Amino acid sequence: MKVKEILTKILLIEIFKGLALTLKMLFSKSVTVQYPFEKRNIHEGFRGRHALVRDPISGDDKCIGCMRCTTVCPSRCIHIKREKRENKMVVIDYIIDASRCVYCAYCVEACPVCALVLTEDYEYSSYERKGLIFNKEKLLKNWDEFSAKWPADYYFNKFWQPPGIDPSRWPKTKREQGPVPLKRGVEIKREVKNEQLPS
Amino acid sequence: MNPENERELLINMGPQHPATHGVLRLVLEVEGEIVKRCTPYIGYLHRGLEKLAEDLTYVQSLPLTDRLDYLSSMVNNVGFCLCVEKLLGINVPERAKFIRTMLSEMARICSHLVWIATHALDIGAMTVFLYAMRDREKLLELFEMVTGARLTVSYPRIGGVRCDVSNEFLKKLERFIDEFPKRVEEYETLIDRNRVWLKRTKGVGVISAEEAINWGLTGPTLRGSGVYYDVRKFFPYDAYDKVEFDVPVGKNGDIYDRYKCRMLEFRQSVRIIKQCIERLPEGPILADNAPKIRMPASPLKIDKEDVQFEIYVDDKSVEDFIKKFTDIYASVEAPRGELGFYIVCDDSAKPYRMRVRAPSFVHTGALPRLCEGGLIADVIANIGSIDIVLGECDR
Ligand code: SF4
Ligand code: SF4
Repeated sequence: MKVKEILTKILLIEIFKGLALTLKMLFSKSVTVQYPFEKRNIHEGFRGRHALVRDPISGDDKCIGCMRCTTVCPSRCIHIKREKRENKMVVIDYIIDASRCVYCAYCVEACPVCALVLTEDYEYSSYERKGLIFNKEKLLKNWDEFSAKWPADYYFNKFWQPPGIDPSRWPKTKREQGPVPLKRGVEIKREVKNEQLPS
Repeated sequence: MNPENERELLINMGPQHPATHGVLRLVLEVEGEIVKRCTPYIGYLHRGLEKLAEDLTYVQSLPLTDRLDYLSSMVNNVGFCLCVEKLLGINVPERAKFIRTMLSEMARICSHLVWIATHALDIGAMTVFLYAMRDREKLLELFEMVTGARLTVSYPRIGGVRCDVSNEFLKKLERFIDEFPKRVEEYETLIDRNRVWLKRTKGVGVISAEEAINWGLTGPTLRGSGVYYDVRKFFPYDAYDKVEFDVPVGKNGDIYDRYKCRMLEFRQSVRIIKQCIERLPEGPILADNAPKIRMPASPLKIDKEDVQFEIYVDDKSVEDFIKKFTDIYASVEAPRGELGFYIVCDDSAKPYRMRVRAPSFVHTGALPRLCEGGLIADVIANIGSIDIVLGECDR
């Protein structure tokens, strides 16, 4: 026992065991990703940069100015400017201060018409604070950038229909929300239009 | 010796010191290499979370708790949810309980991986850092898959969880935990019997069981001294009373024993996750009487004065329930120790006062006791061994 202990002490057994492990790792497959050139896959439903969904029919956003996202936002970073025009509420501007946002996706859940989405883009750092304040135009542009990259023709966010809440409690628009067709294939667009016309 | 050289020296360690795990500032009075006095100064990361919560509804406060201990945000969320559930009298469905337990243990592994990585790096073993980060990355990816975020998950919700887990996720998780015990052995090969590691940790920063209790230490820091206390065993929450696991306990109360406890906890967490995957029941993931995001018939009706209250508590019975209680405390076993939430409520949907019992805060208080009389180099080892996160300490 004693001899063995002395031998391990002199021969640095435990150190060589560790070195053997690191040597083994040297020849195993590399796990690192060369980030700016090579990107890992983002999982569906990642909460990244905000965007306002562009309605494929009207080409505008779908927001109705109900202020629910503003109310639910824990960091109070959504500001909506709206106006009453001919008995109709019109959203003039929609501002999200992304530098204050905590990316909880409560706003996405609360929106009754699924107008808002947290996209899977995560590369939008900016040299100035102004670059992180998104107005309506910027938010729509975010959507265009995101949808151009989206591989499928339809998009559906997993936070749009919060699970667990009885669907009868949702407004009709939320209940009926299906995957959003992206404004890419002309055919898809026409198809949707045809459906829309008779109703 | 010239008496002028014998005077004590005042050293500022931190707040930018990389080995203080964030923004902890220690003022050390040293005589040669010996630390005579050690005074921690905290508050560099104070964001006033407790005060902020007073202005937000219970549901809205949830994302705040992510920012307490950002290395294990899931456990913080669960702690807050448990407290509010206790307050509102909500029974969480079985499936949600198991999912929470599963993800909490994932968060524990994640957090302990960061701990072993940085602790070993501080003491001088760089390789462990790389290996631990490699494995943590896999877990973060799993988190991203189910919650949509890697670090600040905001995943549980008062009365359940936010979205269901998929079979794909369970399979991936199973694959991870099958190979994870081997990884833990790898870390141990690197440091467990390494003579430098043993010299730096054995018999350093000793705190006896009695003293540890008196200082209010919890979690692995307390268990390293040989005290058998774990919130998961003593006050079981979620599905912890339905799974089997052991609580590893140390003996000597030195840095090595605290390290050993956490290493053994890795294996217990794996065991818990395995059981959760096997026994995951079917069913709903949100309680029926959970506070919901209300969807009135006409969205424009919501534009009222007291809109915050309207949105979250739309149930008369829930409102009555809140009125019956004045204060409530619930705690969870966070990776760092007992994390408690104490809420004093009035009849509104916002807490009158929320207080967080953060283990890091208590452990920082015990730091002078551990460091005084030791060497400067051991201060770093001590900080690592009590495993503090300043986000939680300063709140
Ligand atoms: S994600 Fe959360 S914090 Fe960000 S804008 Fe939406 S509600 Fe506000
Ligand atoms: S909740 Fe939706 S519809 Fe209402 S204001 Fe916000 S984005 Fe617009």
